[in-house]
Amino acid sequence: MTSASEPTAPSILRPRRDPLLGVAIVGIALLYVRALAFTPIEARQGAAQKILYIHATSAIVGLYVAFGLMAVASLLYLWLKDAKLDRVAESAAEVGLVYTTAVLVTGPLWGKTIWGAWWTWDARLTSTLFLWFIIVGYLLLRGAVEEPGRRARYSAVLGILASLLVPFIHLSVYLFRTLHPMPIVLKPSAPSMPPEMQTTFFAGLLAFILLFAALLRTRYRLATLRDLVADRDQEHR
Amino acid sequence: MTPDNGAYATAAYVLVAVVYGVYVVSLKLRERRLRERLARLDAPARPAPSRAAGA
Repeated sequence: MTSASEPTAPSILRPRRDPLLGVAIVGIALLYVRALAFTPIEARQGAAQKILYIHATSAIVGLYVAFGLMAVASLLYLWLKDAKLDRVAESAAEVGLVYTTAVLVTGPLWGKTIWGAWWTWDARLTSTLFLWFIIVGYLLLRGAVEEPGRRARYSAVLGILASLLVPFIHLSVYLFRTLHPMPIVLKPSAPSMPPEMQTTFFAGLLAFILLFAALLRTRYRLATLRDLVADRDQEHR
Repeated sequence: MTPDNGAYATAAYVLVAVVYGVYVVSLKLRERRLRERLARLDAPARPAPSRAAGA
């Protein structure tokens, strides 16, 4: 059930150049050029406002896409017990952790210049940091449980529980008095940005979604390969 | 007046490139290590070296 018998050894042994990863890297490079050189500087916040194009886009993809996928794959795993779904959940969690790391690294740089403080314990920031730690725990749990079926089941439950924090993080700016700005894109009304900034923002979002797809595919292949190695190890014993 | 905080934006863009770049490299290294291990496991067992050889 949890065996990696699907991929055949010769095909997975072959090193692959992933064109999607190449396209995503070019997309991110273009975003950098457009954001830094061709997007106007916001009058009140200065150039630091440009952090939005990598901070908010990473947050949307990391929190909603990656951890959303982790939750759906975990739920489906508990239902169907298919090892592929466990690998999807694991891969989405790890890639989502990288995106959340980018969010937590860039946020303080914006905060220092706009708020005058690197960090504040407000609801949005604290709950995002809390989710980051839970996902680290999720990956540590996966490394600690050897039996594949039990590992997949435990991590599916933890993954679903962790993903419940995502709507809380989204709503935290409405539920609590926070320093973090209100959503400027993911809200019922139109985005509150001039058209040129909107173009940069949505181009960035597309680039980060492409990067997510490429990283997820690579990480999934890695998980498949690892399970195949584990199977072969068992056969040799 | 528009604040002069371009250094913060530059630092953020550099850090993000480092975070994603390090992750891509780690994925590639882990994949290569696993592929090598799988190749070793799949390789036919080597015959024991003969005592006469090299004597």
